[in-house]
Parts: sequence; structure tokens; C-alpha cells
Amino acid sequence: MPSTIMTVDDSPSMRMLLRAALTDLGYDVLEAEDGVQALERLDGVEPDLLITDINMPRLDGFGLIEKVREQDRHRNLPILVLTTESSDEKKQRARSAGATGWIVKPFHPEKLAAAIRRVLH
Amino acid sequence: MKNAVRTVDGLRRITIMQGETKVSDDPEAVLTTVLGSCISACLFDPVVKVGGLNHFLLAEPGSNDTDVSSLQRYGVYAMEVLINAMLAMGATRTNLKARIYGGASLRDGFRDIGATNALFARRFLRDERIALVGEDVGGYGARRVEFRPTLGLARCRVANVRPVEQLRVAPVPVPVAAVGDVEFF
Repeated sequence: MPSTIMTVDDSPSMRMLLRAALTDLGYDVLEAEDGVQALERLDGVEPDLLITDINMPRLDGFGLIEKVREQDRHRNLPILVLTTESSDEKKQRARSAGATGWIVKPFHPEKLAAAIRRVLH
Repeated sequence: MKNAVRTVDGLRRITIMQGETKVSDDPEAVLTTVLGSCISACLFDPVVKVGGLNHFLLAEPGSNDTDVSSLQRYGVYAMEVLINAMLAMGATRTNLKARIYGGASLRDGFRDIGATNALFARRFLRDERIALVGEDVGGYGARRVEFRPTLGLARCRVANVRPVEQLRVAPVPVPVAAVGDVEFF
């Protein structure tokens, strides 16, 4: 069965690009447009990986990661941050919140694929 | 401020180069750029009176990649940098109004990257549900755009100078080695 990846980004264009890249790699894709919607969707599903943006309305990536880590059932869910941000301060915040890794946009499909394989195995 | 010149009309002109993005809430600022096949998107939030402008060519730094989806990835990135900068200044996504300029065909013998840029920009705005309230794209001439960020007003004229643009060179405001790289914690 293919692994399932949930992408969280407020930009429909970015969600479409990710869906195309991840589907090409053979993954099933779930989507949410911000942290609040991601938490709602995570109630009913157990994806193998979460890829989240940082800057989002309602609940940003940092808040989402913290909330996800509060839940026992998602404690081991790998979380990759995919963002335009690259400051050490923000990386440190994501790391403290419980993120698994950090990728700076624009993403490169082959590098993304390698990162996904690494966290899924 | 970098690139800023105060002129006789009391306005502060800030020149935006290819690969750059600038957002301002200064009523005396004018964001200006010269475009050939590149695209500038001017975004404006009329509620908080903040505006911004970017200047990009659909390409990835240092690559000869002309694959459509990789071009889109760079364009989406360039737009996201501008949108995030607007949001950081208090703008709201649903309030944003956009104007797009550029996308001219300047080179014989190359595929029409200008038209590709313009199509990308229109499609991006449609997908993001950002209202496109004005545009001047395509054609064969270079353009000079002057944008008043707090008023949302733009003036676009045919420029006498040839814009300094290099095909497939699109500087990104982060070290190239970091783009797309993965850092594990």
C-alpha cells in the first residue's frame, strides 16, 4: 500500500505543485490549507508523513507541530517543514516544537524524494 | 535605505532588481523596476494600505531546467515571498489586489519566455483567488513600472533602456546551496 502524505499550505498553487510531485513519486496525498484544517483532518486519518508550510492564517506551522506532538497517536509522525523562511531562529523554533526536518523552497523534487524516503524508513 | 533616492517631487524611489521583492507602507515610497521578459506583480491591500512588488523570471538558479513544473515551482516561490512579506506587514490574503506587468518578447531565436511568464502570473492569481485589477503584458518592448505601495496605483511606460536581464538567471535571496536542501534535526 502506498504511503500517505498530508501537505499543509495556504497556497492552492503550492498544494497543486506538491500533489503533482508526490503523486509522481507514488504517494497518496491528503491536503489541508492551514493548521486548523490539518488538525481536523488528522482526527480521522493517520498519514505516514506531514509536510507543512510555516506562514499560514489561523494556525501557523509552529502551532500545528506543537499541537500534533501533544497527541499520543501522532507522536512519531515525521514532520517536514517546507517554507520560504531560512533563518536559524525559525529553524530552532520548529526543531523545539518537534519538527523532523526543514526544507527551503523552492523545493527540488529529487531532494524532496530523498528526504521523504529517509523519514519513511 | 538601499537603492532609495529622494527626488524633487519628495517621493522616495526604490529600485527593485530581478529576483528582489519589496513591500512598503511608506506613503512617500515609489517602487520602480524595468522589465523585459520578466514579470512584476504589484500587490496591494487597500484596507491596511500596504503594497509590494516583485520582479522575477521563471527559472531556477543555476539550472538549465526548462521543465514546466520546475519553472512553476520557481514562480510560485517568487510569488509566495511577496505574499508572505505583505502578510507580515498586516495585509490579508482575501483583500489583495494584483497588477501584473512585463512578459515581453525580447529575443529572437528563443522560445517565448515572456509569454510563458505572463501566462504563469495570470494562472497563479486565478488559482490563488487574488483579484487581477490591471495588467500590461506581452508585446515587444521593455517597460518601466512605478508603483505607489500605499495607494495601489501603478504607472507603466515603454522604457527607452533595455532591461538588464539574463535568461535563466534568477537570484534568490537565500544561498543557492540552501534552496531545496533538507536539514534534519
